[in-house]
Amino acid sequence: MTPNRHGSAVVELPNDRDILITREFEAPIALVFDVLTKPAHVSKWFFDRELKECSIDLRVGGNYHFVGVMDDGTEMSFRGTYLEVEPPTRTVQTWLFEGWPDADAVESVDLHEAHGVTKMTSKLTFSDKAGRDRMIKSGFEGIQESYDRTEDLLRSLFDSKGTVSG
Amino acid sequence: MPILEYIGTVARSSTTSDVFNAIAEAHRREILDALIAGEKAVGAIVNDLSMSQPQVSKHLRVLSEVGLVRCRAEGRRRLYRLEPAHLRPLHDWLAKYEQAWNDRLDRMDDYLKDLQQQGEP
Repeated sequence: MTPNRHGSAVVELPNDRDILITREFEAPIALVFDVLTKPAHVSKWFFDRELKECSIDLRVGGNYHFVGVMDDGTEMSFRGTYLEVEPPTRTVQTWLFEGWPDADAVESVDLHEAHGVTKMTSKLTFSDKAGRDRMIKSGFEGIQESYDRTEDLLRSLFDSKGTVSG
Repeated sequence: MPILEYIGTVARSSTTSDVFNAIAEAHRREILDALIAGEKAVGAIVNDLSMSQPQVSKHLRVLSEVGLVRCRAEGRRRLYRLEPAHLRPLHDWLAKYEQAWNDRLDRMDDYLKDLQQQGEP
């Protein structure tokens, strides 16, 4: 029987610019890569219900766009452009969540399989034209300004199990 | 240890979201980093960091106002120490962020299991 890995994702802040998320899956690397990059798959797990729109043009320079609809009809939109595509081990793409207009980022997703377990390492590197420090500042100001909203967004976007009370 | 990493290890009582603003400034985070090791006099902080004494004092005032550092006098010296309890709002935010990612990736995990049971990659 395979171990239950629920809740095993680790989120780290290794420095001032990055958010690092690691998670292992009991699945071969090619399948994990497909589930991360094929619209028919992504639309099934990305949101807590099926995505309204999910388009992925998986090639360097190609765009992706995910739209989920919340209970109140509000649309949550993520979009970006692929910078690197190396199946089945790596993609790098720009990342913009329209709820956080100040927090655009570059996301790199690396996969590594060992003994039938595929480890995903996802790194979000936030950036800003004015440079790293200004970006961190605006990121935190953004969090402060929309602190409650962010909580709501996170809950609505990701949390289908009611683990955040209220 | 960088302060952002330290926040991930802190969990105690609550306070205001002004903390977000206080640590938005890079120099103030450097000061907090310098205090993680323990209580320090203003002069020692000035020595540790490439900042002037007036700059350090100004930032310490902001950090005191939101409760992130506490000051006590020892003779003529003013000693500052970290008040980790007041990092709670950030800790909470991080915890929610981590939970949100876990929920999403657990869904992906379940979906992968379903696919493999169906035998159709």
